[in-house]
Amino acid sequence: MADFDLAVVGGGPAGYVAAIRAAQLGFRTALVEEAQLGGICLNWGCIPTKALLSAADALDGARRAGRFGIAAAPDLCLAEAVAHSRRIAERLRRGVAALLEKNGVELIEGRGRLAGKGRLEVATATGPRRLSVDHLVLATGARPRALPGVVPDGVHIWTAREAMTPQAVPESLLVVGAGAIGAEFASFYADLGTRVTLVEVADRILPGEDREISALVRRAFTARGIEVRTGVGVVEASVAGEQVVATLSDQSRVSAERLLLAVGVQGNVEDLGLEGVGAKVERGFLVADAWGRTNVAGLYGVGDLVGPPWLAHKASRQGILCVERIAGVAPQAPLDLGRIPACTYCRPQVASLGLTEERARAGGRAVRVGRARLAGNGKALAAGEEEGLAKLVFDAASGELLGAHLVGPEVTELISALAVAAALEGTEEALSRAVLPHPTLSEWWGEAVLDALGRPIHH
Amino acid sequence: MRAQIVAVTMPKWGMEMREGEVVAWHAAVGDPVAAGADLVDVETSKIVNTVVAPVSGVLRAIVAEPGETLPVGALLGVIAPADVAEEEIRAFVARTAASGIPDAAGGEGAPDDAHRPAPGPEPETAPPAAVQGADAPPPSAAGGEVSAGDGEVAASPVARRLARRYGLVLAGLSGTGRHGRISKADVEAALRARGVALPEPPPRRPGLPRRRGDEAAVAATPVARRLARKLGVSLLDCRPSGARGRVCKADVEAAAARAGIGLAAPGAPAPAATAEKTPMGEPLRGMRRTIAARLQAAKREAPHFRVAVAVELDHLLALKRDLEARLPEARLSLNDCIVKAVGAALVRVPEVNVRFEEERLVRLAEADVAVAVALPDGLVTPVVRSVQAKGLVALADELRDLVTRARLGTLKPEETQGGGFTVSNLGMYGVDRFDAIINPPQGAILAVGAAKRRPVVRGDDLAVATVAEFTLSCDHRVIDGAVAARFLDALRGFLEHPATMLG
Repeated sequence: MADFDLAVVGGGPAGYVAAIRAAQLGFRTALVEEAQLGGICLNWGCIPTKALLSAADALDGARRAGRFGIAAAPDLCLAEAVAHSRRIAERLRRGVAALLEKNGVELIEGRGRLAGKGRLEVATATGPRRLSVDHLVLATGARPRALPGVVPDGVHIWTAREAMTPQAVPESLLVVGAGAIGAEFASFYADLGTRVTLVEVADRILPGEDREISALVRRAFTARGIEVRTGVGVVEASVAGEQVVATLSDQSRVSAERLLLAVGVQGNVEDLGLEGVGAKVERGFLVADAWGRTNVAGLYGVGDLVGPPWLAHKASRQGILCVERIAGVAPQAPLDLGRIPACTYCRPQVASLGLTEERARAGGRAVRVGRARLAGNGKALAAGEEEGLAKLVFDAASGELLGAHLVGPEVTELISALAVAAALEGTEEALSRAVLPHPTLSEWWGEAVLDALGRPIHH
Repeated sequence: MRAQIVAVTMPKWGMEMREGEVVAWHAAVGDPVAAGADLVDVETSKIVNTVVAPVSGVLRAIVAEPGETLPVGALLGVIAPADVAEEEIRAFVARTAASGIPDAAGGEGAPDDAHRPAPGPEPETAPPAAVQGADAPPPSAAGGEVSAGDGEVAASPVARRLARRYGLVLAGLSGTGRHGRISKADVEAALRARGVALPEPPPRRPGLPRRRGDEAAVAATPVARRLARKLGVSLLDCRPSGARGRVCKADVEAAAARAGIGLAAPGAPAPAATAEKTPMGEPLRGMRRTIAARLQAAKREAPHFRVAVAVELDHLLALKRDLEARLPEARLSLNDCIVKAVGAALVRVPEVNVRFEEERLVRLAEADVAVAVALPDGLVTPVVRSVQAKGLVALADELRDLVTRARLGTLKPEETQGGGFTVSNLGMYGVDRFDAIINPPQGAILAVGAAKRRPVVRGDDLAVATVAEFTLSCDHRVIDGAVAARFLDALRGFLEHPATMLG
């Protein structure tokens, strides 16, 4: 009998969740982690950046409190904000360790590497440990992608990790890449008073989002003093004294005190022993099917390691589905990537799921689009917010919610209602029958539903 | 009217299921149930599965409480429309239970009773000394004979369970219940006579005398119904205040208050269950009990003989290594290769691929091979179908899946049934050789020892080879020695020259 029925390599949101679920199902389960439980998400991604962005939002709220008759001159202590962010990460990390222990997962600290099919070798502090396992789930995640000519040095040229533990507020920052990470840090540092330049090689920022949403965020960023340049890439960057000088693809030069590289991620596929067992890797990611099965018998891959979207909640769900499939738990349906919400916590916030209007139409579908501006929403106006757009894309024939795209305050929470609607396959008619409480921000997307049906009330 | 009363009976999940243990009900008496909805969980020797409601109606009676083990076909509960009178339900239960049921549900070829092991006398708990010292014969360790008669004694399920708990033999008691059935009171009296201190029944709730009548007919919300049952309040005592005259939660609480019944504070700890621990051992449950019963029967009934052979495995191991190195999708254990060779040998010598069922020899067309999988508390034997038709890689995938789910207990009932042949491999434990007991009604079982480097003689020279010993146990009623020898010879041929499996 193998040492473990199932072992997971990588303790991030894909791996630790898969391990806990496996143990619950009765697998003798091991989790192999070489660094910190919780992975990037919990230690160097979602959670600590949200702590920093909450600080930035509080700062902004205090600055704009004059309209409520509050006079405040807020002063942010950067070290304290960063310390708060690290404390939260640490607390959650301990929580994961406790969950693993409670569920009977054996934690093996060290780097795991395949030593053949069903065999794992872990380099632990006390020497190599060899394990035989029936089912091996790889969840080693991804790391920031580098650009040729732009090599992070941890001092002047940053990745997200340095950007979330700054020693001081840089006077100027060049953010390369305007996806979720780039947009969030651009927003954060702009709030701290840094002069931010945001460069994106695509023709718009947040290129994965709906065009109208991108345009609205760009307007808001520009109004906040962020210089946004799209359609240009960075060819090369070099450090000269205390400045980073970047050459862009249009031959112009930008210099800034710091450069943040945020041009996507690549899978951690190296030195795992994948070649030895013939596992298929394409474009830097392990190839796995909808259940996480690779081309190698008994080898599975989940999370960022197997490709986009690079989202913690996708990773966790993949981990659960993979393990439940192995265990023969019924009923099962593969992950529907069209129903996974994605959130960006810049200001204004962006949240979306499913197809953009453009992509839905490109697929040849007849769609019914509903829009609503935030400006008509009483709760938002009362809170001093008026910039926002809710845009819902329905299939004209079936009424299925194909896409939901929100920009504005609290949309990262509002999107959940639409994710539930999509999961339950609610039609625009069904959504229109739900009574939404007043006064809430939720009325805003409710208005977009009515707009899609051609019977808006408030505009 | 009677036609509307439907019995829920112990199902028969497959040919080999004889009895099942009620684990938990999904509904309580009085709850409406929909046809096809989960009704009651039953644990067999192999799995826990759920019996669904055969029809829609109201669950009117629960006859088998959780923890009771009953034979296939035994009455578990009764579903009937809400307007069927309580008396009719009671009469139905009494009639059905007294008739002894077996296979009341009819259907799939249940064997006649002669072949059915007596359902009664499970060695569920060891008896307290008080009973043992009394005139009742002490239950023997072997379990069998002492209570063998109890299955035929007419007794209520509660009486049966009570008797089992205290190790009391029912056969000696006289019944005062309906149709002379032994009732709970009869068992209690007998136990007290033997000096057993029985736990006192819970004191009756003070307050209003409960009205008699059919509570199921009272319109009430599900919450009210459940709360009323919990508090011991009759719905007939509640003043309906809800929509369309339904009794609501508040009405039940009001009735409880009138009757002086205290509402338990939420979160109050439940009273500690009376300890039912036995100091003298633990009952065999579920799988363990089946293993005990079946293998005891096999040893007793099937005349075993064994033949053994030592097999060189170097060619097979080379083939395994080659396949694994060349095909990413190939992950093979030695056992996978052995099962494949067994499939080929069963085709070559089909006389070994048989079952001895109900005194009949059944010849199998497909090489369905059962594989013994060790579990922490027993073993289970999932069956790979049509091994002869499967490639080694697909076979290995299927075996890995079956073994995984066997360990997790998520095999489907049909996945552990059928086949005429089992492979039991203790090689990974370093065992040189052993012999196994046939899993009836199969005809044979192969015991595989560890593959080790050993000296072998080639011509007049000594050489070293990887050798494992294979021992075949056969049921001599259906397989003769020469047939077994031919099978082992074929198996050795396939294992030592695996290319011949392609032929």
